[in-house]
Amino acid sequence: MNFELNEQQSALAESLSRLLANRYPFERRRALVAAGQLHDTQTWAKLGEMGVLALTLPQAHGGFDCGARDLLPVMQSLGRALALEPVLATGVLGATAVRLAGSENEQASVLPRVATGETILAWAHDEPAARHDSVRVETRAEQKNGQWMLSGLKSPVLAAAIAGRLVVSARVAGSSSESEGLALFLVDPKQDGVSLRNFTLVDDSSASEVKLLGAVAEPLGDPFDGRRALSALKATLAAGIAGACADMAGGAQAAFELAMDYLRVRKQFGRAIGENQALRHRAADMLVCLEMARSMAMAAASAVDQPDGEEAALDLHRAKLSVARNAREVMHGAIQIHGGMGVTEECAVGHYLRRLQVLDQLFGDADAHAAHLAAAL
Amino acid sequence: MELNLSPEQRAFRDDVRAFIRDRLPADIRERLRAGNFPRKQDIIAWQRILNERGWAAPHWPKRYGGADLGQMERLILLDEIYRAPAPIPSVFNVIMLGPVLLKYGTETQKEFFLPKLLNMDLWFCQGFSEPGAGSDLASLRTSARREGDQYVVNGQKIWTSSAHHADWMFALVRTDPEARKQQGISFLLIDMKTRGISVRPIISLDGDHHLNEVFLDEVRVPVSNLVGEENKGWDCAKFLLANERTGIANVGLCRERLDYARELAAHTLQAGRPLLEDVNLRREIATLDAEIRALEITNARFLLTESEQRRLPSFASVLKLKGTEIQQAIYQLLTRIAGPAGLERRTPAEPSLAALNARYFYSRAASIYGGSSEVQKDILAKTAVG
Repeated sequence: MNFELNEQQSALAESLSRLLANRYPFERRRALVAAGQLHDTQTWAKLGEMGVLALTLPQAHGGFDCGARDLLPVMQSLGRALALEPVLATGVLGATAVRLAGSENEQASVLPRVATGETILAWAHDEPAARHDSVRVETRAEQKNGQWMLSGLKSPVLAAAIAGRLVVSARVAGSSSESEGLALFLVDPKQDGVSLRNFTLVDDSSASEVKLLGAVAEPLGDPFDGRRALSALKATLAAGIAGACADMAGGAQAAFELAMDYLRVRKQFGRAIGENQALRHRAADMLVCLEMARSMAMAAASAVDQPDGEEAALDLHRAKLSVARNAREVMHGAIQIHGGMGVTEECAVGHYLRRLQVLDQLFGDADAHAAHLAAAL
Repeated sequence: MELNLSPEQRAFRDDVRAFIRDRLPADIRERLRAGNFPRKQDIIAWQRILNERGWAAPHWPKRYGGADLGQMERLILLDEIYRAPAPIPSVFNVIMLGPVLLKYGTETQKEFFLPKLLNMDLWFCQGFSEPGAGSDLASLRTSARREGDQYVVNGQKIWTSSAHHADWMFALVRTDPEARKQQGISFLLIDMKTRGISVRPIISLDGDHHLNEVFLDEVRVPVSNLVGEENKGWDCAKFLLANERTGIANVGLCRERLDYARELAAHTLQAGRPLLEDVNLRREIATLDAEIRALEITNARFLLTESEQRRLPSFASVLKLKGTEIQQAIYQLLTRIAGPAGLERRTPAEPSLAALNARYFYSRAASIYGGSSEVQKDILAKTAVG
């Protein structure tokens, strides 16, 4: 076993942290949100230049052939910075789905622009009725005059409002609860068959409800190869889990550090509040939770990169459960330590909880993964 | 980053598994599986079997009969022993005293004691805690005054596990009453048969005899039994306590006990149906399993990574706190699975579900011994807050 970043990973993590420290201090992020910006286009361009968005893409299509373990420090940094940039949507979910489901030609037509950030992909898979049933899909795909058309409702779809292409899961056969008959499609959101209701989520990030009514779509790979589509879909969700876990672990780290700083500087009754044993012990509890979250973020990344590893099948579920719960403990503690300030909008610490609230609900929440593990005992 | 075992490490694990399968006496395995403590003779017998294979002391150098294994292999070996379940090599002999002798002992001490520690020819107990020195160990008062080539030891030790089984004790004693707290302490090896030693049992919450008070009244110990320098015993103690880290998380124990919880629930009927069909119980087991995995990775991450140790020097407190919390939760869960059938008191020798209640009661000590959870939190807070 080895738990260290390699040189390339450390170098990227360092330059990304520098970039975000410069471009994404909390006040700047607040200003972006106040101005109604969905993300920061200049930072986005930099992320493209740095190769962050190309990390897991194939070399043949402008990528670096890296994996979830390479994304881990990247997603942690973005979580720390509370970044609104749609890296999870396009660089993790969209990129994985197209890479695994698309033919070489289909990949070649999309991925090079995804790698640079010029095209943003949105992963349109979740449906309101499915809730945390990860492969329940009602959206239908039908062929008319040699053209594939999709109909259904996808929500929430992260970053759909700024996406150049949607990657949509739909079924060519079977009923909604079956895992057979699924296929993945690329959809241009700027067409009559697609209508978006855009909103922001509780963490200020952008998402949409996507209504498909005979939307023209290009299949990724053979639409009748349900096995390939299902495996790409599952791998995409797995990559999403690893990305979300890394982001949550990064957020927990940042919230923890803010709380520790506050314990040292905030004075009450004539001394730093961090001298009180009750708060010191809370800090220790938070530190334990933080370390557990960090470990399980690694487990998730490892499970994505090495799906045949002995623990991989369970680790994704354990990780989503464990990281969410442990990170939540850290964030609750961090808010508590900040006292009244902790529950204000102007204080960064509470925003980590808001972000966690979104990430916990993506790709199955802690309860859903606990239930899955319980059933698999 | 690599979380999977290498092919060599997997092969080593297979070796260990095969060895344990072939050599672990079935009755020992069954006793431990049912939740009983190993008997004295179980511990001795199994450690001798391990010693035949050179595995009694995974981390000692080969020259002294150890296996000289790397950290990962040590973790694998310990994990497999716990999972069997088999008794782990004597913590007092192998984890605590052996490394202290290797680092601070004289050649004579090494040659005399190390082989006997390995083969359990001598059983050591640990004379650290005193009535006035628990978590605050350095306030110990047991004194040793020098008379010629002997120390004369007077005082009292308490919570001494297995003192009633022990042939010898390694003890911290105060050799300089004038010196400041941590100074003036020495590390002595004391033959339990020496005149002036009396051992009184402390019956613990589980109704069993693990703990003792040890009274030392004008006990004469040859100066040649001093380990390290006089008044430098605190160095030995700190080194010894730091060596506890490898086993501190008890990952394999947690895994084995949770596996038994699942097995027991599958064979326990409630209203004619296996208890394991209960959704809430399944979810509780699954959640504990996820926590054990988090502990396992955290354990390996810190033990195997120097940069992580530097980042969080107090990492052992994380492992102790979380490991204890999970262990205690599982021991309690086992009693809930045993249900009313676990309530009937039996002697420890009789097989019964009451063993699970006994283990649960005794498990409450886990967050008290070896530095209470509150002390661990103080240590972590010092790192985190300052």
